[in-house]
Amino acid sequence: MNRDGETNNANDGALLLLKNVTKRFGTKVVLNAISLGIEKGKTTVVIGPSGCGKTVLVKHLILLLRPSGGEVYFKGERIDNLTETELNKVRTHYGFLFQGGALFDSLSVKENIIFPIRQHGVITDWEQVEELVKAKLAMVGLDGYQNYYPANLSGGQRKRVALARAIALNPEVILYDEPTTGLDPIRSDVINELILKLQRELGVTAVVVTHDMTSAYKVADRIIMLHNGKVIADGDADHIRNHPHPTVQQFINGQVSEDDLAVLRMSGTVSQAQFLPRDFEQ
Amino acid sequence: MIGMVGARTIGGVENMGRFARFFLRSMIVSVRTCASVPAYPLIWTQMNIIGVRSVPVVMITGAFVGMTLAVQAYDQLAGMGLEEHLGVLINVAVVKELGPVLAAVMLAGRIGGALTAELGTMNVTEQIDAIRSMGTDPVRYLVAPRVLACLLLTPFLIIYADLMGIVGGYFVSVVQFGINSRAYWSFSASGVELWDVSIGVIKGVFFGVAIAAISCYKGFTCKEGAQGVGQACTEAFVASFISILALDFALAVIFKAIYNTFWPLKSLV
Repeated sequence: MNRDGETNNANDGALLLLKNVTKRFGTKVVLNAISLGIEKGKTTVVIGPSGCGKTVLVKHLILLLRPSGGEVYFKGERIDNLTETELNKVRTHYGFLFQGGALFDSLSVKENIIFPIRQHGVITDWEQVEELVKAKLAMVGLDGYQNYYPANLSGGQRKRVALARAIALNPEVILYDEPTTGLDPIRSDVINELILKLQRELGVTAVVVTHDMTSAYKVADRIIMLHNGKVIADGDADHIRNHPHPTVQQFINGQVSEDDLAVLRMSGTVSQAQFLPRDFEQ
Repeated sequence: MIGMVGARTIGGVENMGRFARFFLRSMIVSVRTCASVPAYPLIWTQMNIIGVRSVPVVMITGAFVGMTLAVQAYDQLAGMGLEEHLGVLINVAVVKELGPVLAAVMLAGRIGGALTAELGTMNVTEQIDAIRSMGTDPVRYLVAPRVLACLLLTPFLIIYADLMGIVGGYFVSVVQFGINSRAYWSFSASGVELWDVSIGVIKGVFFGVAIAAISCYKGFTCKEGAQGVGQACTEAFVASFISILALDFALAVIFKAIYNTFWPLKSLV
């Protein structure tokens, strides 16, 4: 298992590899020369506070965002210099579960799952397609919902359908962007179990972006923490639990930092910030 | 102040450059899509949404244009005893300029806004990224069918607008002002050439492509949130409107030059 600063040098056998990847939006540096290898068949969880660049990082693994600097490799081949058309072939090896599901709201559940199959012409026999959709939905516990539309599904169901769509092309890598955000603890656990099930049964390589530590501890073979565009912690769940870095401890224990508390204290009392009826009187 | 003007200019030029690349790519992909039979159902669906459902509004627009022209022009022509020539004026204006332009403006409002809102919402809810993540080109799946549908159907919609403009003008001229029907049609037939009708219809191809490309571009590049989508819709309509007028002017100059080249004597008459 890689440990923090050593992460980045021994990644030559990794399925996915970022080498010195930097991403800037205007003058803001979101990823700062990150080097990271994703091991085949393992579940790697990326944690970090909101806005630290977790989603940006995972979008670089599939080149939905292009790096401002650095290189991205998939199965040892450099992919960040490919054209969009060339990348489309590479992307068929990936599944991506978006934070909000990103289901096509004009298509039914069945049509959503068929979408990638139809685009790549994997199957032409429609009976076989029906069976495949049924199997994928059964895998996420939603067989029978084929003719529902996304608007008629709950948040958890939408994520499960999105997961069924993400695995439609039997991907080697599944990227999960905040899979449990916005779900109640029970639905979150259902998603966690699904991530484990897919890894167990299909042997896929998974990268999960989350700030839900319960989920992270449950599904992770390896946890990486991002802060200020850098990897500040990298290891298994126990390594992260006992990590000496104060930012890591604050994050995993959900504690506000002294600096943030100082800002809150300086901002005055709540009553001072409230308007009273007399404030509106002439 | 100077810095702000400079920054805005650079921003505008960059935006134009991005649009030019998007437009070129959309055109190349659209041409390829013509040869792709599996894409035909997508084009068919868009033709229904963009074309068929726009027929009523375009026809109403055309009818009112023809009727208004008749009301406005009658007094001037009647004062000179030329009221029977009203048909020439109305029909040339309708088929050559007002029918195509006003039908296109109506389409920019009806279709352009809807395309931008739909694609903009897909963009902010990551549906376009989802298409890309599944190894599909969103331009091929979303833009090409819409561009082709607009390109193919705008000329037909303009024919509907022209037809209703002619009917509307005839109705007011003959029924309301009592102009002799046979004289009305006779002068109209001698004054309106196939060339006039053709250039109006050809303009439709350009207007259709401009509306679709601008609306799709604005949808693809819209900022996050409801405000972002709303702003993109407004920008799409304004840009489409200006493009229609600019294209109309450019095409009028080009067609006039072509006409003068092939029929120099006729143009003098």
